[in-house]
Amino acid sequence: MNDLELMDPEKHTNEVKDLVHLPLGLLGFERVKNYVLLAKREQEPFLWFQMAEDAKHAFLVVPPHFVVTDYQPELSKEDVEFLDLIDPADAFVLNIVTLRGARNGTVNLKGPIVINRRTLIGKQVIPVNAAEYATHHPLPV
Amino acid sequence: MLILSRKPGESIVIDGRITVKIIRIDGDAVKVGIEAPSTVPVHRQEVYAEIQKNNQEAMTHTEAKLPRLVAPLASVPNSKNKSDLADSPASPAPVVPKLTKPTPRK
Repeated sequence: MNDLELMDPEKHTNEVKDLVHLPLGLLGFERVKNYVLLAKREQEPFLWFQMAEDAKHAFLVVPPHFVVTDYQPELSKEDVEFLDLIDPADAFVLNIVTLRGARNGTVNLKGPIVINRRTLIGKQVIPVNAAEYATHHPLPV
Repeated sequence: MLILSRKPGESIVIDGRITVKIIRIDGDAVKVGIEAPSTVPVHRQEVYAEIQKNNQEAMTHTEAKLPRLVAPLASVPNSKNKSDLADSPASPAPVVPKLTKPTPRK
C-alpha cells in the first residue's frame, strides 16, 4: 500500500515525506512530473510540494479547509477518470499559496491539486465550478 | 495556422484521437464539443494562462518565511451562507470534492 503517510497520525513525526506523481505536471510546469509532498510539524497547516529532481524549487500548499469554509470543487468526468477516483474521500485536495510580502499571501482556489490518496497520483485540475473561485484568494492572516 | 471552414454538426479530427465538433453558432459565440483521451488536458485558453501565471509566481523554496493563519472565512465575502458561518466549527473538516460520474465503460 502506498497510502498517504501524511494522513496517518501515528507516523506524523516532525517531518513526513510522500512521493507524488503528476503525469501531466502543473500548468506551466508540464515537464516536472515528480514531487515530494513534505510536511513539517512546525509549519502546519502548510505543506511543501517540492520538485523531486530539483529540491531548490518548491510550491507552498495548504489544505483548503484552513483557508475557506465553503469550498467544494466539482471535478469533471475526465478528471475523475484520470485520477481513478471512486470515493470522493480518496481525493486529497491541496491549493497553491503565493507568498506576497512579509508573512502574507494568496491561495489559488481556481486550480487545486487533487491527489488520489490510494495511488499517490495527482493532477492540477480546473474544476467545473472554477468560475466561482479566485486564483488570488487572500490568506486568512 | 491551418484554417478550415466547418458547419454546425461537422467535426475536425486531430491525430486520429481528438475530435473537435462545432455544436452550434449563437450570434458571436460558437459552441464547440471536444472529445479527447483523459491524458490530453483541454482548457479554455484564458483560464489556462491565469493558472500558469499564478503557478510561476508561486514557485519558491522551502526556506521561505511562512504566514501565520487565523480562522478561515467564506470564499465569497457576504455570501448567502453568512449566517451559518457564525456557527461553523473552529476546525472544519477537510474538503471533499464533488465527483462527476464517469460514463460506464462498455
